[in-house]
Amino acid sequence: MANAIKIELVTLSEMLFSDSAEMVIIPGSEGLFGVLPRHAATLANLQRGKLDVYNGGSITRRFMIDGGVADVTPERVIILAERAVDLDAVSTQQLDQKVVAATDAEAAFINAVKQAI
Amino acid sequence: MANLKDLKTRINSVKSTQKITSAMKMVAAAKLRRAQEAAEASRPYSSRMQQVISGLASNASKATAPALLVGREIVKTHLLIVVSADKGLCAGFNGSIARQARIEIKRLENEGKSVLLYMVGRKAADNLSREIADKTFARIENLQGSGIDYNKVGEVAEKILHGFENNSFDSVSIIYNQFVNAITQNVVVAPLIPAQIEENNSESGASNYEYEPDENELLEQLLPRNVTTQIYGALLESSAAELAARMTAMDNATRNAGDMIDRLTLVYNRTRQANITKELIEIISGAEAL
Repeated sequence: MANAIKIELVTLSEMLFSDSAEMVIIPGSEGLFGVLPRHAATLANLQRGKLDVYNGGSITRRFMIDGGVADVTPERVIILAERAVDLDAVSTQQLDQKVVAATDAEAAFINAVKQAI
Repeated sequence: MANLKDLKTRINSVKSTQKITSAMKMVAAAKLRRAQEAAEASRPYSSRMQQVISGLASNASKATAPALLVGREIVKTHLLIVVSADKGLCAGFNGSIARQARIEIKRLENEGKSVLLYMVGRKAADNLSREIADKTFARIENLQGSGIDYNKVGEVAEKILHGFENNSFDSVSIIYNQFVNAITQNVVVAPLIPAQIEENNSESGASNYEYEPDENELLEQLLPRNVTTQIYGALLESSAAELAARMTAMDNATRNAGDMIDRLTLVYNRTRQANITKELIEIISGAEAL
């Protein structure tokens, strides 16, 4: 597909998302940026924020990532995040359970996820 | 011929050993499944990271790029991270690590470099203790208990990065057992600093990267993270490999114990029969004499 870009969202423990999409909005450390097919090759630092995958003009998948790095080439994006959560697949209850055992940095991330749901 | 009571005791003791080894095998098998999943799940991340880094390294110019990426010009001291297990009873697992470490130390010293060691896990450190007394940079144990904590690995990586900045050593590599499958583990020596560059990088032609923020700032964050990731990946591989090795070793031990019990039981029965025969002969010849 000429008008789709391959996206891989990889965390330390799993491949969270691997599919083609029309566009992805990435929370870069210098601000949000959108990646469409044939985007210039870029290596970007990321900050904590929402990562939205667009198909057919609207958001189809939403993730929360906790920093990391994005490797963009014209054909594909690889997003490496140490922590990431699929916002459509978690509930506040699950997060509450996790926050008990979490370190400070993890807890801060989980709270951010809660607000984003 | 040994007497019956001794044989019985012997058989019982082998039986209880067999119970222990078979329980250890079960435990290792159960843990292995989780460890294997964890090791396999972490591979995409570290391989993607590797891909990004080697793309960067093949485009970087030696003069300006950070030393973490391209290495220092003169390498006087080399740090070897040796990853072994905290516990034994896993066949050649720790031995092969120690052997490889010995080979690497010799090779590096023949190149005129001095060697420092970061020992992860107790077993290889014990095995090498005489040779490494003056070479140990640091030791850490109990890192690989149940599940490997990324934050703790971060501390290890920080110590290494700190040592690198202070010129305690100029290059770093890591020796660990890579998990292949339940019966095979490969001893791997992988470079950490400078970063490993894969040959024939298929994408290297296209990577005239733009950087956001600027290149140096980005590399400053990315390269330390890469070191942590590679160590973390190596530890996951190693702990899966350890459990696999233990499972195989304990399976063999259980089978050997079974063979031994069979043999001992045979001897026991023969002895018992011989005793009965002897008693009968005694009774009969006693009766005949009357």
